[in-house]
Amino acid sequence: MFGKLKGAVLTVAALGAVTAVSACGVNNGASTAGGGRAGATKALKVGWSTIYLTPSWMQETAKMMQDDVNKLKQSGKIASYQTFNANGDTSQQIAQIRAMIQQKYDVIIVDAGSSTALNPALEQAANAGITVVNFDSLVTSDKVIKVGTDQVEWGRMTAQWLADKLGGKGQIIAFNGPAGVAVSEDRWKGAQEALKKYPNIKIVANVHSEYNLAPAAQAFASAYSAHPSINGVFSQGGALSAAALQTLVKQNKKLVPITGENYNGFLKLWQSKQKQGFSSMSTAQPNYLGVIAIEAAVAKRDGVNVPTNVTVPLPRITDANLAQYVKTDQSDDYYPIQPIAQSDIDKLIGK
Amino acid sequence: MHERISEHLETVGLGVLLVVLLIAYQAYDPSLLTPASITILSAQFLSLILAAMGQTTVMLTGGIDLSLGPVLALAMAVFALRADHGVVLAAVLALLVAAAAGAVNGAMVAYAGLPPIIVTLAASFLWGGVTLAVLPQPGGHVPGGLVKAYNNGWNGVAVPAVAIIVVVVLWKLGKLTRFGTALYAVGGNEHGAYAGGLNTRAIKIGGYALAGVFVGLAGIGLAIQTGSGDATIGTPYTLNSIAASVLGGVSFFGGVGAMRGTILGALIIGLLTNLLLFTGMSPFYQLILQGVILIAAIALKTLATDRRRTA
Repeated sequence: MFGKLKGAVLTVAALGAVTAVSACGVNNGASTAGGGRAGATKALKVGWSTIYLTPSWMQETAKMMQDDVNKLKQSGKIASYQTFNANGDTSQQIAQIRAMIQQKYDVIIVDAGSSTALNPALEQAANAGITVVNFDSLVTSDKVIKVGTDQVEWGRMTAQWLADKLGGKGQIIAFNGPAGVAVSEDRWKGAQEALKKYPNIKIVANVHSEYNLAPAAQAFASAYSAHPSINGVFSQGGALSAAALQTLVKQNKKLVPITGENYNGFLKLWQSKQKQGFSSMSTAQPNYLGVIAIEAAVAKRDGVNVPTNVTVPLPRITDANLAQYVKTDQSDDYYPIQPIAQSDIDKLIGK
Repeated sequence: MHERISEHLETVGLGVLLVVLLIAYQAYDPSLLTPASITILSAQFLSLILAAMGQTTVMLTGGIDLSLGPVLALAMAVFALRADHGVVLAAVLALLVAAAAGAVNGAMVAYAGLPPIIVTLAASFLWGGVTLAVLPQPGGHVPGGLVKAYNNGWNGVAVPAVAIIVVVVLWKLGKLTRFGTALYAVGGNEHGAYAGGLNTRAIKIGGYALAGVFVGLAGIGLAIQTGSGDATIGTPYTLNSIAASVLGGVSFFGGVGAMRGTILGALIIGLLTNLLLFTGMSPFYQLILQGVILIAAIALKTLATDRRRTA
């Protein structure tokens, strides 16, 4: 009994540790944090919160952003730059955004872990006068600047190429990402819009897979064994395309056109099979989205009227320019991209 | 008597660690102890604290719940989908769903005779799938006024902190009931409890259902914090809730542990990750340091517990 009552008291007291101690030491060290306030054109305190930092695409993005930050530091635009990795935990990402608000960051860059869950935190940041720029994985809030690509266009553009390549007729397998995933649904929606115009193109199977080589290879192989006479494959992701092409190569079958993405493993295979007549058209989620996000934030602070939605055009990787993209000295899960010109960035962000 | 003293020493130890963290935090963020910060922090920690309380309830029965994250997301999804048609009804519905999910887990553990770790691992896929069926893409909506009151305070009152205190007081009262003591008894010595005339299966199912209520509350909190539902957002809570419970001194073998330890554990984990955000160190080193501190804290506690057992 003694323990139980005491326990109750202790628990409430412990909770109170956060609440009750508030009486003492409120002004303790008030000037240590908070960031320096200079004149009107002060250098900016910039933070980037990302849902993941370890995937290779993100690593490349982080490197490009760091290079851009170094440049902007030299020109006195940025004072400090800090990266926060939520490691897949959206709640943690909310905590990071709140921490940046409390620490009076001038700019918050976000690659979001959820399209909705960050909205209240990001809107609070925007209301506090912080410039918030979201890139790559986008949120639904319209209170922040969003830098992204059009995923519907991704599907439309690559499917259109395939339809043209097939002369408007033939049997194809549609190879999509996991059902219910927004990116996958959007790309497929675009593809369907493009393919609708060609009644003689028949989708004989619609296969779903994770964007990973091993499950993709399995999923494609079983669909392909049921439909070996296809004329092409609409694939909406690099690992999916690589899996499909590998299957055809392994089974020594006709190398029909397959759409793709700038996944280096696919680009390498594509290049090595070009002589055997394999043809593709691929696009990319460009790593420089992060750079454009930083540039947009800095421009916004400089008074530029940056549009709320910055839609970055999708690159076109074709048989003709493949050699510029493929990086034979890099690993398969590298995503090669050509740099974007500063003049193009300026145009996109309304400079 | 000996045991009680060292149990309190554990709580005191955690409390000291928490105070150290608070002092360090204060140095980085002088606004820590203002009502605004307390509101923000309690909004942030509520879900982890309540999830950890749910995990602790299951662990007290000698189990473990690997499906906690998906059930949390399920409650979040149900609440976010219904909140526009009446918040109270939505909350009741979400809690019923979460409690039912917990009861199903408990029934599988009680009747299948399989280890809880296997049952709840399987259940994590089940509830994850159900959540995706309920809410295939992030969405739903929670009334803006509620989101604001929760995140920014309501007339200066830290709503989430009040909610946590209410839940804790209810738990303290519930623990004094027959069911409360039976829960500890089943976890501590199932055969003894059975021989003593307790319906151990019903108590286990009840324990898992109660855990579901805690987890459901955590999910509702998360929905209000984020203003929406997201089927994938719950996953990290599974392991974080186990970490908070273990740090708080809850035994994997059941029957041993106190909610105050779990709450302190959750607060320490939450404050620690926040504190590391302020340090400006590389995110990878943040993860390393976080892991090292948790291992050190748990190792210290285990040493203390061992001494207690052998004493």
